[in-house]
Amino acid sequence: MIKFENVTKHYNRSKALDGINLDIHHGEFISLVGLSGAGKTTLMKLLIGEEGIDGGRILIDDIDIAKVKKSDMPFLRRKIGMVFQDIKLLPKRTAFENVAFAMEVCGHRKEKISEDVPKILELVGLLHKRDNFPHQMSGGEKQRVAIARALAHRPVLLLADEPTGNLDEVNANEVIDLLLKINQLGTTVVLATHAADLVNKVKKRVITIENGKITFQQEKGKYKL
Amino acid sequence: MFYSVSFLRVIKTGFVNFVRNLWLSAAATMVMTITLVILATLFLLFAVTNFSLKSIQNTVDISVYFKIGLAEEKISALQQQIQSNPKVKEVKYTSAEEAFKNFKERHSDDLLITQSLNELTENPLPATINIKAYNLEDYPGIASQLQDAKYQEVVDKINFEDNRVIIERLNKILKFIVSFGIGLVAVFSLIAILVIFNTITLTIYNRREEVEIMRLVGATNWYIRGPFLTESFLYAISATVLCALIFLPVFIKILPKVAAYVNPQMTFFNQNIFNFWYLVLILFVVSLILAMSSTLLAIRKYLKI
Repeated sequence: MIKFENVTKHYNRSKALDGINLDIHHGEFISLVGLSGAGKTTLMKLLIGEEGIDGGRILIDDIDIAKVKKSDMPFLRRKIGMVFQDIKLLPKRTAFENVAFAMEVCGHRKEKISEDVPKILELVGLLHKRDNFPHQMSGGEKQRVAIARALAHRPVLLLADEPTGNLDEVNANEVIDLLLKINQLGTTVVLATHAADLVNKVKKRVITIENGKITFQQEKGKYKL
Repeated sequence: MFYSVSFLRVIKTGFVNFVRNLWLSAAATMVMTITLVILATLFLLFAVTNFSLKSIQNTVDISVYFKIGLAEEKISALQQQIQSNPKVKEVKYTSAEEAFKNFKERHSDDLLITQSLNELTENPLPATINIKAYNLEDYPGIASQLQDAKYQEVVDKINFEDNRVIIERLNKILKFIVSFGIGLVAVFSLIAILVIFNTITLTIYNRREEVEIMRLVGATNWYIRGPFLTESFLYAISATVLCALIFLPVFIKILPKVAAYVNPQMTFFNQNIFNFWYLVLILFVVSLILAMSSTLLAIRKYLKI
């Protein structure tokens, strides 16, 4: 599904990614581990076309990302959901409206939105908080709303960049459980984290990145630096 | 269907932005309105001066009075000569009989003149020709040409009322209006562009989170840019409407009076340039260009897509 072929990325003179070769298959759950600055976020940014690559190529379902026109990028992004450590919910919108926003901006009709959003909120277990504003929810709940928003377009790939970084253990576990559930429903998930206990709990394929290079890969692996 | 829903949402978001930053929007609209008012004032000043100039230009001509009893052939030969001059626009011949008839008609109410005329045995009035040139500058040349020695035996008198002093003064005013006006409009346009640029930049800044999320969830580039363009369209249209409201009374009350004062024979509104809607259209186009260019600049500089 996703193929990294000798991908290189520089920031000024420092190498953020250095000759990455990686295959991610449909329906996989990948834990991407590494210290801060190892290149995890860069790798995700390349996948959604936020940054351009300097060498090699990235294929998503045989489409070369570098060749996607700027005007077509939004349509690629609709196939990829993204969740961040800083959550990025709109503070003046309720949980429902935050999820609906993702559908609105892509031109979905009101009826479709009011039909789909409750289903997605139910999936993340927050239907009862649909009218709550972000400040009325816990960190974990907010992150689950963000995941619901990322799911609004039924993406084939969900990228989660340190989604538990700001959460306590209970909330972090809830988020990870939700990601596993989404994965079970068929969505490919890439989780970037440096929380060893969560990776060990997940027991899925682990990829370790260090200084922009993949240094370790293991199926059903454990956290390893 | 997808696109029409998006289009409506873009328009709605633009409206919401406009209303939410009402003071900023008001400032942007005001600066734009001032620019348009200056432009419209200059436009009208130019039009009025031009109108006056045309009215005066129409009154300028050269009258050539021939010697009494001159044979028609000689007159028509001269007439042809004058006509062949490329600078001459029109030559109108009035024969002595016609002149006499016209004179009689004009004074038919005056008993004394009529009686005196009846006592005359021969026509005291000369034949005349009336010359109009294409350009104002050509009149002195044509007049002096007719004073040439070879015409002395046929031409009795040349009457050339030189309105050129007034005309030149009007021309100067016109040139001043144009140059000064262009400068003033340029300065205010620049101010309007800067103010709108700032307003849109602030809106972009206020909505940065929303824009970032829009990008991440796959909104198209035009969906993200659209509300800002809508907002600037609203500045343009509000400024045009305000300016039109200011100038409507001028058009209805003042301009016809000015026109009547300058030249009672010519009507003001049958000329295209004085059409109110024509002016409004020009103002709208100008304001749209100003608003859109500054918005596109701000988008290009600050809106990361």
